[in-house]
Order: sequence, then structure tokens, then C-alpha cells
Amino acid sequence: MVALLGRGNQLITLDDVSKRYPNGTDALRDVDLEIDSGDFVFLVGSSGAGKSSLIRLLIREELPSSGRVWVDGQDVVRMKHSAVPKLRRRVGVVFQDFKLLPRKTVAENVGFALLVTGHSGEEAREETERALALVGLSQRRGHFPDQLSGGEKQRTAIARALVSRPKILIADEPTGNLDPVTSWEIIKLLVRVNELGTTLLMATHNAEIVNALRRRVVHLDHGMVVRDEREGQYAA
Amino acid sequence: MRRLEYVVTTAAQGFWRNPVMSLASTFTVGLMLLLFAFFLATDRGLQAAVGVLESKVELALFLEDDARVSDVLDLRARIEADPAVSRVDYVTKEQAMARLVDIAAKRPDIQIVDTSENPLQASLEVKLAHAQDAPRVTAALREEIGKGVVSDVVDNPQVVDKLLTITRVLSFGGLAVLAMMLIVALFVIVNTIRIAVHARRDEIEIMKLVGATDWFVRWPFILEGMLVGALGAMAATAVVLVAAGPVMNAMVSFIEILPLSFGTTFVWQLVGSVFALALAVGGGGAMLSVRAHLAK
Repeated sequence: MVALLGRGNQLITLDDVSKRYPNGTDALRDVDLEIDSGDFVFLVGSSGAGKSSLIRLLIREELPSSGRVWVDGQDVVRMKHSAVPKLRRRVGVVFQDFKLLPRKTVAENVGFALLVTGHSGEEAREETERALALVGLSQRRGHFPDQLSGGEKQRTAIARALVSRPKILIADEPTGNLDPVTSWEIIKLLVRVNELGTTLLMATHNAEIVNALRRRVVHLDHGMVVRDEREGQYAA
Repeated sequence: MRRLEYVVTTAAQGFWRNPVMSLASTFTVGLMLLLFAFFLATDRGLQAAVGVLESKVELALFLEDDARVSDVLDLRARIEADPAVSRVDYVTKEQAMARLVDIAAKRPDIQIVDTSENPLQASLEVKLAHAQDAPRVTAALREEIGKGVVSDVVDNPQVVDKLLTITRVLSFGGLAVLAMMLIVALFVIVNTIRIAVHARRDEIEIMKLVGATDWFVRWPFILEGMLVGALGAMAATAVVLVAAGPVMNAMVSFIEILPLSFGTTFVWQLVGSVFALALAVGGGGAMLSVRAHLAK
């Protein structure tokens, strides 16, 4: 596997990655994983299985205790601290709790991602409109988060993650706070985003969605990859 | 340019979103700067006073009536060779009497009844460049007593000692007080920005998540700290400019030896120093605060 690094079509590669926290918990153990460009991958497993730890390694919120991590051809472990912002601009992330700024409108929340990375107001406005159109929220651009439904909040968060045109979108339990109907709306949106060329990695507990979509499923258990199937199911 | 616009806008928002804390820290910093300005002005005034008093520090060598002129001139040349001495004046018996007559004319409590005989001695008046050299020069000149030229050496050790004490207290005491005020101001700024950072922790988290650089996160806070400093400096400068005239007049009439005016150059230097300190303390304090947060 290591011989192929930096070649082929892999966008994400984890090579023999382990993560042990100072309290002695092993969050990840000897994980090998490759995700190709354009893939749609479900990351499943019970709470504490290591899904969130794996995501944190990919955006370098944390470093592995051992092993190597490559994202879009870059060695995430050895990269300089100053290179981390550029990595994060290529990896969009959405969370279960949306992480929207309550005093900013939908458009401001989305455009914020561009303004704080040095884009002009004009660029931010144009790209924000494009992202809002993609998620179907153009009509709600002037609303504040507390005026939105849960699904709309998550769509705003997705628009923010997509506004800088990342190669990878990571969704950490994006439907965890949503009702089944709204969850399906979000999943349809993510499928569409994937069809437009963005690689998708989604951590989820939602067996119904995983089973219905029949995409690649990586199952984590106690920090280890116990199953990796091309057209997988939530449970074996 | 666009980054600057963002940083400036965010800093201004940060300041006004938490007006009570921002104004409280502006007030504290302003107060510190006012004390700083007062310290600088007082230092300047006292330095001028020290200069004036130092120029007045002089020793008088009273000469024997029968001293030979060549010996007096020789002594004068030796005294002038000392680098601590700025000037030596020879005052004849007649000049001494003329001075006394002058003084008596101005003061009704002194009356000269008989000028037929001149009991006053001729003297050498030695002016010193620096007050601290007075003890050494006096000791050297006292050795001349009894050698046929000098009958007595008169100095004013109390004035010299007080002058030296004032200068020392001013240097060490003033700097100590200033250092303490600086620490207090820094502490206040650090806490103000820490509250601002805490209030915007979600925003910072998202900024870092979407790929903003540390500097992009930091600059609005640093600018906010500098804004607090600059507003404090403006307040302090306004108070200084309004109060300068009356205070100076009061001081001049109280201590007559003070120079009458500080001059425009000094006022600008003072304003410049106040603003420089304000921006350094504001920006530096904010940087300390936000660095601690980003390091978490």
C-alpha cells in the first residue's frame, strides 16, 4: 500500500495509524484506509469506535500516535503548522451541531469561510450565492440561524463547507439531530454534491440510510477497521 | 486591502459588542497613560529645576587681604583646569562692597552705616558643572587654607545633598511607579481581550476549521487592544492639554525656579510617547491573550 502513496487516485490514505490519548484510551489501532477521489464512503461504528478521532486526524486537529496520514497528496503528520490552514481549505467539514454563528445571517455564515481566508467581498458574495443555490437556500440568505429549521441549518453548514470548493467533504453525523424526512433531504443533497465531483466521507449511526444507499462502508470497532465493503450494509 | 478591511471591521465590532468592558479598560489605560504623562512632565520639570539649581551650585574661596595677585591668578588657573568646574570669577574687595550696597538698597532690613572702611574680603567664586562633584572639589580647595592665599572655603552642602536626593528619588521611584502602572495596564488589557476571545470562541473555532491562518485570527484582537490603547491615549492627551496650562501656572508660582514653559516640541514628544506606549501595551497585551488561547 505504501508503495502506491502519492500515485494513483487516492485522495485520503491512512497507513498503520494508531491514536492513543494521554488517559490511555486507544481511539484508533493500526488503521489502514484508502479513499479514492470521487468516492462516497460511510464510516460506521458505535459511539467511541474512533470515527471522530479519525476525522480529527484528517483535518489535523490531532496528530496520530503512530502511522502516517496523507490527504490530497500531503503528509498531514509532517506538514508545518503554517500549512494546516491550506489543508483545511481543501477539506470541508460539517458537524451534527451545525456550528453556525447565531448573529450572522445564512449568507454571512457561508461567506464568512471565504472572508476569513482572504477572499474579497465580491468573490465571497458570488461564491456564497453559488453555494446557497446548490443547497437550495437562496431564498433564506437573509435569515438568522434561529429562524431556520434543523434541515436548513445543516444545509447552511454544508454550503459553508462547500463554498471554498473543497476536494473532500467530511460529514460527522450530519443527520444526528434531524428527523427522518429531513435526514433524507440532507442525504440527497450530499449524494448530489458527490455526483458533482466532491469526495464524501460521512460518519453516521443511521443504518437505514447506509443500507438504502449501498455505498462503500468502513466499519470501525474499538478503533480498528473490522469491515470495508464496496457496496456495504450497516451491519454484517 | 480586503484583509485589512476585514480585520479593522472585526476589531471595531469586537470593541463595541462588549462596551462596558471595553470602556472600563479604556478608562484604566487612560488613567495609566495620564500618570505616565504626568511622570514625564514632572521628570522634565525637575530635570530643568536640577539644571537651574546645579548652575547655582558654587563655592566661595575667601582670599587673604595680603595675598599676592600672581598667587591668586595661579590658584584660579589650577581651579579652572578641573573638568568639574564650569567657571571661576574673581571678585575684588571693591566689587564685594558694591554688591553689598546694592543688596542693602533693595532690603530695608539691611542698613550700611559706615563705608569708610571695607571689611569684606576678595574672593574666587567657583561654579560647578554638576552638583555631585561639590564634595570632592570642596575638599580639594580646603587644602589651600593656610597657605597664604585662601583664608576660608564656603559651600552649601545641604542644597547639594537635597538636589542629589531629589534626582535619585526621581530616577528610581519614578521608574518603579511607572513599571507598576505598566503591569496593571497590561493585566487589564490581557483580561479585556481574554473576555473578547471567550465571547468569540465559536467564531475562532470556525475560522480555524475553514482554514483561516493564526494571524488572521489574531489581528482583529490585536487591533482591538490597540484601539483600547489609542482611545485611552486620546483621553489622557485631552486631559493633559486641558490641565497643562493651569497646572503649570500653579507650579511656576509655587516653585519659582521651574522653567516657565515646556515648549511645543516637548508637548509633541509627550503626546508621541503616550500614544507609542498605549499602542504597545494594547497590542502587546492582546497578543499575549490571544496567543494563549490559540495555543490551547
